[in-house]
Amino acid sequence: MPLVTRRQLLHGGLGTAALGLLSACATPGTHSVNTAPTIASTTGEKITIEYWSWLKDLQVVADIWNAANPNVQVKTVWIPSGNQGGYPKLYSALAAGGGPDLAQVEFGVIPSFMMVNGLVDISRYGAAEFAGRYDKNLWNQVSFAGGVYGIPQDSGPMATYYQSELFAKVGATAPATWDEWADVAAELRKAKTYIDCFPLSDAAVFTAFAAQAGASWFRADEDGWVINMSDEATLEVARFFDKAIDKDLVQTGFTPFSPGWFAAAGKGEIATLTSASWADALIAGISGGAGKWQVADMPRWSSGGYGSSYQGGSTVGVMANSKHPREALEFAAWLTSTQEGIDAEIEHCGIGWSPAPEIIGTPRTQPSDFFSGQNYNQDIFAPAALEQNTQWSWWPSQQQSFNILSDGFRQKASGTTLVDAVVAAEEKIMTVFKNSGLSIRKESA
Amino acid sequence: MSITTPQRESRPAADRRGGTRRVSAVTRAPWLLLAPFLALFLLTFILPIIVAVISSFTKVTRGGLFGETGVTSKFAGFSNYAQALADGNFVASMGRMLLFGVVQVPVMIVLATILALLLEAASARWPGFFRAAFFLPYGVPGVIATILWSFLYVPGLSPLIDIAGWFGLSPDFLGPSAVLWSIANIVTWSYTGYNMLIIIAQLKAIPTEVYEAAKVDGASPVRVAWTIQLPLIRPALVLTTIFSIIGTLQLFAEPQVLQTVSPAIDSQYTPNLSAYTTAFAYNDYNVAAAQAVLIAVVAFTLSFAFLAFSNRKSS
Repeated sequence: MPLVTRRQLLHGGLGTAALGLLSACATPGTHSVNTAPTIASTTGEKITIEYWSWLKDLQVVADIWNAANPNVQVKTVWIPSGNQGGYPKLYSALAAGGGPDLAQVEFGVIPSFMMVNGLVDISRYGAAEFAGRYDKNLWNQVSFAGGVYGIPQDSGPMATYYQSELFAKVGATAPATWDEWADVAAELRKAKTYIDCFPLSDAAVFTAFAAQAGASWFRADEDGWVINMSDEATLEVARFFDKAIDKDLVQTGFTPFSPGWFAAAGKGEIATLTSASWADALIAGISGGAGKWQVADMPRWSSGGYGSSYQGGSTVGVMANSKHPREALEFAAWLTSTQEGIDAEIEHCGIGWSPAPEIIGTPRTQPSDFFSGQNYNQDIFAPAALEQNTQWSWWPSQQQSFNILSDGFRQKASGTTLVDAVVAAEEKIMTVFKNSGLSIRKESA
Repeated sequence: MSITTPQRESRPAADRRGGTRRVSAVTRAPWLLLAPFLALFLLTFILPIIVAVISSFTKVTRGGLFGETGVTSKFAGFSNYAQALADGNFVASMGRMLLFGVVQVPVMIVLATILALLLEAASARWPGFFRAAFFLPYGVPGVIATILWSFLYVPGLSPLIDIAGWFGLSPDFLGPSAVLWSIANIVTWSYTGYNMLIIIAQLKAIPTEVYEAAKVDGASPVRVAWTIQLPLIRPALVLTTIFSIIGTLQLFAEPQVLQTVSPAIDSQYTPNLSAYTTAFAYNDYNVAAAQAVLIAVVAFTLSFAFLAFSNRKSS
């Protein structure tokens, strides 16, 4: 008689397999690649790097690189934009121990990816040699805890797009301050037009306004995170939009770039949009909008702050499971900081504002027919990119923080204020930090 | 089977060895045949549930600013459950789905029953055509159905809102108070035909003699429906109701898609959306697992409560 019967063996085998599966299912993202030894770059053999991004036609741009680098071929894979599905896809790929070499990650989301050990610290692969090519402010936003966790790909300096005809009808010019903006809004309301939307469901816009006013919600200290969301700058912005909503100066029924917004903007029921440089391509999609829109500097807050703010903007992150971090980094730097890469990304992908201050991209030096012949990129956005809040830094669980804020904003309809929402959000976000095991304290004034 | 078994038992015990081998072969055969199913069932159903339950009792703590100085997992007791239940939005999403279910499920089942009875009535015209027509929406995936309906909900695009405008009305299908019922409308549109089909199948199983007897007694069509058809399709009604209760708690695609046009839908609008957001947007797999277990427990409880209720009523 054999020592072990077939059945016992089968049982044992199944049991071991199940145990193995169970142990492989430990909470994902709890192992760091940045403490492991660095991976040497390959010599001579042909490798393929995968880049997950939501930019359209990115492969056309990658093929320019591929032609010049036969040994480092780049394959692009389209993912849905950020929170619309791209990040969940990346997170689950990382949790399963896979994923691409490179991925498009927005500035604000870098810390969240760091929390799940999803990003390679590229300072260990010589990122410093490329640092000089990039806007200092943007480089600061990818540098955390002594490391570098992404190559800036594009940014979104903000300005105000407006329909000049509608402004002419009420005898207004582009507002230089937010107070003037409110006056123009009141005039436009008499002509059955809203000046703009205030998106209650997307806290990113409010956040950008607060950053413009000089807020700095988070900073990393030696003993942990320091939060300061209820500072005077933020509360000023909250009070301002509380008043604007109470007076029915802004549209809250839909958000910019939704089907309802396109319909309203086409009919002249929305007069302006204060948004990032990348909004130009979307505005160009408004039917019958050609020649009606112009661009002006963002209005300023009376208490000071900055001339512009950032909304959106993304980086190229080297992902934790990449086998070729150095080659991936080299491609990312070529893509985002050379004339060739930037021009191709503008032409084929409609990329946002260039992260390299020296190169805004050849197509952006021409006047635009859609925007009434205005050379708005050079005249408005190039200066706006330099008028930024240098103190701003992003934090972990940014998306959850934004959701908490917008959940609070949604309550505006039932009588609470944006000011209440901001103050309450600060408390809740502190709880989120503590729940994920991070230490956080309130900024002592 | 009932014939062969006594034969085997009455077999003389001479060839005992052969007998036991034969018996064990017989007992083994169904397991062998079931093995492919069981393996997949264990791997894709039981194991994930076990992992989810284990995960829901685990907690991750991080050192440093991002966890760069060390990450530890440990047993957490019920703290993830406490956190899930302390999350006002998650509890609110449960409440929202209960309200949704209390209104939408009866409306849909009643509608499905009426349609089924009408189509199975003797005087029905082109029942085959209408049956297919009513069932057709079920063939449209939920995501597509929601996109289709959203064109009827969005102001500026919707002909419905334009028509209402002629009468001086301005309905807001996507506002905070109305959007839940806009979703209910999509769900009802999608699934009424499906439930109707299950009920029709049961109606077709009613023997014709019963109808003939009713006819002889001079029962009106309404009387036939009320005293013959409705009591006899009870099992189908119970089944469709339970499916609908579970379906309600699992609502995901419709609010997820409608989110892009309705600012009123937040990222935790339904329990499933809440678990999805917690897992894949907040990366808190442990709390998401706790939420998933809670959703399952509520779905079980409600289904069994409804079963117990309908059984008691019948006895």
